[in-house]
Amino acid sequence: MKLFWGRQRSLYCLPIAIRMFTVYCLLLSACRGKEEKLPIFGERTANGTDTVFHTIAPFRFVDQDSAIITNESFGGKIYVADFFFTTCRTICPIMKTQLVRVYEATRDMPDVMILSHTIDPEYDTVALLHDFARRLGVESKKWHFVTGLRDSIYKIAQTSYFATAMKDQTEPDGFIHSGAFLLIDKARRIRGKYDGTKEEDVNRLMSDINTLRKEYGE
Amino acid sequence: MPENKRGVGAHYLNRVVHCLLAFGYCLLLLLACSNTDAKFQQYYVQGEQLYIKHCSNCHQKSGKGLGLLYPPLGPSDYMEKNFDDVLCQMKYGKKGFLSVNGKDFNQPMPGVRSLTELEIAEVATYIYNTWGHDRGMVEVVEVTTAVEKCSP
Repeated sequence: MKLFWGRQRSLYCLPIAIRMFTVYCLLLSACRGKEEKLPIFGERTANGTDTVFHTIAPFRFVDQDSAIITNESFGGKIYVADFFFTTCRTICPIMKTQLVRVYEATRDMPDVMILSHTIDPEYDTVALLHDFARRLGVESKKWHFVTGLRDSIYKIAQTSYFATAMKDQTEPDGFIHSGAFLLIDKARRIRGKYDGTKEEDVNRLMSDINTLRKEYGE
Repeated sequence: MPENKRGVGAHYLNRVVHCLLAFGYCLLLLLACSNTDAKFQQYYVQGEQLYIKHCSNCHQKSGKGLGLLYPPLGPSDYMEKNFDDVLCQMKYGKKGFLSVNGKDFNQPMPGVRSLTELEIAEVATYIYNTWGHDRGMVEVVEVTTAVEKCSP
């Protein structure tokens, strides 16, 4: 009897403990695995056995270095998109401050980029965007400020990114536009939508960028 | 004898009155000081609220500005040297270059036309007594003088 409660007990219990611990770990990783995937926004259609998700339509704009920017420029990259204009004094300053935070936080992540579209292409020339980007202190190869045909920009804002952007004389700055930041994955799908004027929501964006990168094994 | 007595009494009364007057004067002085302090506090707190509402989205709550786009307010050599201009700019905005701490800024600043002179004095009291500035109270009369000179 004495022997059982001595050495024998530990020998008896240890394998059980190890088995329980292993099961626990497996369960944990399975559960965590399920939580860690970001949603995919927009319509989805069935194509046979495949699901076709909403993606960002092909685009062709010009950035602050006069470089042509298309979807190919973001091939294999995750990026954050927004819509602004340089003379905006209401929500854009806050959005830019927040995007600078995102820029700094993803500085060492070559797979993450930022795409800001101007919704006032008549005023925001390439030269002006170049000055604006320089003043923000950001590199163009990571953060593109693009301009192009007004209609193309408005169309892609509304139909691809689901972000409001239109001229409105009754608004204080002359435009209605949302302060949304959109997180786009490597397959051009929208994986997150955030209020760029709220610091806490941008914190959520930065956390989601990490989650998304993990999906690609970064 | 009676004259002497009256003399002593009058002298005594004189001293009491003088003491009371002196005390009263001190009290007034003390009240005046705390009133000034209270006024400063009031302007400062109101100014902070107005700053957060009208100015912080560009100049930030920290007063640090943003890159070379929006200049910092603290520290700011420009603010120290251009008091009247700063008061005007709050109301009428600013276009063109200006240099702050050796750096050039060129982004147009919109003014807030709806600000009253009292509100400008309050914001100025806040920004000129935060982030290293130590100017003290900014009175409404200073704002009136400055704004009159620059009204478009």
